[in-house]
Formats: sequence, structure tokens, C-alpha cells
Amino acid sequence: MTQIMFNFLALLVVISAIGVVVAKNVVHGAMCLLLCLVGVAGLFVALDAYLLAFVLLLVYAGAVVALFLFIVMLLDNRGDQRPGVKHLPLYARLVALVLLLAGTASFLARAHLPSPALGAAPGVGASLKLYAYQLFTTYLLPVQVIGFLLLIAMLGVIVLSRKHEVAEDAP
Amino acid sequence: MTTDLLQQAAASNQWAAIFPELSLGCLALLLLGLEMVLPKDNQRQIPLVALVGQAGILVGLLINFYTATLDTETFNSLLRHTHQGQVMRVFFLVASLLVTMLGMISLPKQKVPRVEFYHIVLVISAAMMLLAQSNHFVMLFVALETVTVGFYILVSYFRTSPFSLEAGLKYLVMGALSSGLLLFGIALLYGVAGNPALPGHTAEPMGFSGLHSFLATGANAHHFLAASGVLLVLAGIAFKIGAFPFQIWIPDVYQGAPTPVTAFLAVGSKAAGFAVLFNLLQVFSPCSWLLVPVITVMAAATILFGNFAALTQHNVKRLLGLSGVSHAGFLLLGVVASVTVPMAVGAVHFYLFAYLLASFAVFGVMAHVAGANDADQELDHYAGLAKTNPFLAAVLVIGLGSLAGIPPLAGFMGKLFIFVAAFKAGHYGLLGVAIVGVVVSIYYYFGWIKAAFFETPTASGDECQASRPQISVGLVARVVLTLLAMATVVLGFYQGPLGVWVALR
Repeated sequence: MTQIMFNFLALLVVISAIGVVVAKNVVHGAMCLLLCLVGVAGLFVALDAYLLAFVLLLVYAGAVVALFLFIVMLLDNRGDQRPGVKHLPLYARLVALVLLLAGTASFLARAHLPSPALGAAPGVGASLKLYAYQLFTTYLLPVQVIGFLLLIAMLGVIVLSRKHEVAEDAP
Repeated sequence: MTTDLLQQAAASNQWAAIFPELSLGCLALLLLGLEMVLPKDNQRQIPLVALVGQAGILVGLLINFYTATLDTETFNSLLRHTHQGQVMRVFFLVASLLVTMLGMISLPKQKVPRVEFYHIVLVISAAMMLLAQSNHFVMLFVALETVTVGFYILVSYFRTSPFSLEAGLKYLVMGALSSGLLLFGIALLYGVAGNPALPGHTAEPMGFSGLHSFLATGANAHHFLAASGVLLVLAGIAFKIGAFPFQIWIPDVYQGAPTPVTAFLAVGSKAAGFAVLFNLLQVFSPCSWLLVPVITVMAAATILFGNFAALTQHNVKRLLGLSGVSHAGFLLLGVVASVTVPMAVGAVHFYLFAYLLASFAVFGVMAHVAGANDADQELDHYAGLAKTNPFLAAVLVIGLGSLAGIPPLAGFMGKLFIFVAAFKAGHYGLLGVAIVGVVVSIYYYFGWIKAAFFETPTASGDECQASRPQISVGLVARVVLTLLAMATVVLGFYQGPLGVWVALR
């Protein structure tokens, strides 16, 4: 049962991810991204990481993709003005194809891991309580650093988007 | 998880151990606060506050160089304080101090907000200091992203210039790609090292010590997934230092970014990459069967590409970017040698300091010579600089000479130390490539010097030169540039504590 569910979700994720890249219409691309994120959330549920799945749906599928759609609507480019993918020379495409196949084949042939029982390693992302405890004890420093990261990201948005009128010149 | 364990974890968060980073963060917040409080007339003093504050932190760091936390792990093994880490801390602080100084020269030429620039520079340098000491992939990634996000903003800071925006977009896309590679590598390593079915598996696969002990067990270092993870992590780091297959973003981004930011990218970001590379090399040491050949090829290709691509450049920022690629190649040579010869670590650090002094001297001159269009700095603009401003021309010659590795200067000693280390380690082929690279590099560095000394402005680019205002050098800039040039000369003759540090290893 788990195996069937994994195969289904993995296929969904890969196909919709390809859809994001090749979709000519921006709205279709955003919808494919949504589907991809739902698939990943499903994979997290299969791994007992309910919190991660929930956060992924809430933040990415809920907020980020909605934001994308808002921007697409604001730009109002009728969704179909994206230029097609530039065609590379034949040899470049062949080399890329061979590399991709070789990479996939070597992973399929050599990258087998024995799979342990799922209960053996309880994930931090399984429950909110466990996650929060870790966040405020073991990983306190990275959380603080992320605070600064968000601050400079916010400043960056202001600096790059606002017009700067005052130009008092230094001597 | 019981309360005892939680208390134990919380007790390990020794904030005193990262006092310099904390003070940098507080200083950054203070700048924003000052901007809100001070009246408009006094806001010119804010960069000075940043400068003095950083100098104070630097002095404090140097006094407490041998802290009680040296060679211990704090924050639940997220950080590890080592001698190397302390050296890199000093390095990043000096770099951000000089970037602040360059910002004071460059920013008034543009209509851009001022205080936010200094704030972001301070946050980036604090994050770099944490990056050099991180002992855990979570800490490493968070610090790295803070550095990268800060650079996304700084690179596109001159938003009225299309070049700056183009550079920002390119850096964003390339940075996201490199972060993706790094994360994929970390995920593979985490999955392999934490798998209970494998021998030597660890409960902390993200921690460096756990990962090292896993890789050292049995044939784990030859496991396909572990090796793939190691290579992907290396690729992510190679993006940051601009090593060969991942150097493609460098010329455009260096040209478009504001001059102080280009300097920070060239020196700070590159040094941060090497600090991480040294830490990871120790962690991945069981995988040296894979890493040594890969880095050897990478170093040779980087040296050759950087030097030959720089030959044809006329824009000085692109030229410095590509010459920076070749410097990354020389540093990689030291990194390869450090696997077998411990002295190479000190040699790389010495090279980094020499590179810092010379680069900032050159960038300081560039910040003065640059006109209102920051991306447009051609070799022709330097024609006749020796006559119009002999001081800047002299600093330029010392800086470029050191970058090229001309004998009495610090850059020569840096290259010499690295070549000696590579010779001891027996990388003769790579050494030959590096010497070819040095010879080629002399050509384009001297082309620049020739433009400054032997060409007259009327011969070429006369219109640009005529429209440029007279260059005036402020007092602070004059003192700092003199210090940089003098340090470059003095370090060439007498290596002092830095040299002792090289010899002791």
C-alpha cells in the first residue's frame, strides 16, 4: 500500500514539476507548481511528517502560489506571451540527453539503500511540540540568524522598490 | 524529550562565545535606529558610526584572540571555535571595515539610500563569521543563505542602472541554483549517514563530527550516494568561490554590482567559500580519493580560464572579476596541497590576507576614478592618472603589482608559500600550470599600469576624461589607502605574526 502510494505521488511530483518548466501559459505553470507541492506534502504524510506537510501546504501552496497568481493577474499579460524555449544545437541536446540518462542509470544501478523500519527514526517534523522544543533549544542560534535574514530581506525589498528622492550630496 | 535534556541543550547556548557577531548585529540595528532618530543634517555621521564601531569590535577581537572557548564546541555543536575560525573572523571584519570605507566614497555619487547599505554589509559579515565556524549543516546553510540574500540586495543596489539590475537577477538565479545543488548534496549525505541499516550510522547526520565518523567507517566513503553528496556539496561551494565550471556568472555580476559590493564579493564571499571548504575537507577527509583529483582538475582549469579570459577585457571590473577567478585557482592549489601538507592551510590564509590588502587598494582607486555610471569603468579612463593624481596611481601600482605577484610585494610571498606547499605535496603538473598562469597574468595587470602611466588622455577616451570632474581624495580614504599600500609592501619583506602562523603549522 505504502509502495503504491509512494509511486503515485512521486510520479505526480515529477510530471507536475516538468509541467512547471514547459508550460507556455503562466497560470498553467503556477497550477502545476501547486500540484507539485501537494504531491510533496503527500510524500511527507507518507513519512509521518505531518507538521511539515501541513506547513508546506499552508505556506507554499496557500500563500506563495496565491501570490504568484496575484502577480500574474496584475501584470495582465494574457498568460500566453511567453517566448518558446530557445532551441539548442543538436550536439548540445545530445550531450545533455546522454548525461541525463547516464546520471539516472547510475543512480538506479548503484544507489540502493536498505530501507529500515519507519518507526526506527522518529522525525523532528512529526509533532508540533517536539519541533518547537528543538527550535528553541538546540537550534536557537539558526532561528536568531534567520531573524536577521528576514530583516535584511525586508530592507532589500524597500530599498529596491522605493524611489529615493532625497539626494543630499556629501561634500 | 525530557526537561533535563532540554535544559542541557539550552545551557549549551553560550552567547559570549559569539560576542563579535552579536555586537556586529547590534551595531547594524543601531544604524537603523540612528537613521530614524537623527535629524537629516546629521545623518552623514552614520557611516562614521559604523566605521568606528567595527574598528572597536576588531580591536576587541584581536585582544581576545585566544578565548576560553577556543577548540570547543558551543550551541549544541552547531559551532566549533578553532584557530582558523578566529583568523577568518579577523579577516571578515577587516573586509567589512574596508567595504564600509569604499561605500563612503562610492555611495554619494549615486542617488541611493545610504544607511541600509551599511546595515546589510554588517549583517553579511556577521553571517560570514558564523559560516567560518559552523560545525553543522543547518547552521552552515542558514549562515550561507543570510550571506547570499544580503548579496542579492547589494548587487542590485544601484537600481537606476540596468547593469546593476541585470547583475542582481543573474546572481539571484545562479545563487538559487548553487543553493539547490548544495541542499541536494546535504540531503543525500543526511539520508546515507542516518540510515540505521548501514554500518557506522549516526544519530546526528547533519553534524560534522557525526558525518565524519560515518564516512570513516568501513567502505562508507566509497558508497555511491555518499560520494554523490560530497561532490554536490563541493559544487555548491565552488559556485561561491567561482571555480572553473561554475565561474560563468562572475564577469557580468562583477561589472554590474556597485564597486564596493564587487570588492566585497571578490574578497569576502570568496574567502568565506574557502573557509567552508577547509572545514568540509576535514569532514570529508575519508573521501579524499575522490576529492583530490576533482579539486586538482578544477584548480588547473580555473587558473587557465581566469587568466586567458582576462587577457581580452577592457572593463576593469570584468578584468578584476576574471583575475579573481584565477586567484581562486591559486587558492585551490593550496587547498589540494593541504590534504597532505598541513603548512598549506597557513599559506592559503596568508594569500587571502595579501589578496585582501591588494584588492582593496585597487578597488579603493577604482571607487575614486569611477564616474556617475558605476558599471562603465574602462581601462581608457585610467589614461594619464599618474599625472592627474600621482597618489592614486602609486596605490594602484602597488595593488596591481601585488596581485600579479611581483617580488618584493605581499602577493609574491603569498604565491611563493602556496607554490612551496604544492611542491612539498608533489603536485608538479599543477604547479607548472600555475606558473604559466602567473606569467600570463602579468600581461594584463601591466596593461592596466601602462594605461595609468604611459598613455595620455588625448590618445584615447578623451571625451570621457574631459567630462570627468577632478578626483579629490578624502582624508579617511587617503589614510586607509596609504595603510593598505604600506601593509602590502611591508608584508612582502617581513611577514610578522602572519608569517609565524604560516611557519608554525
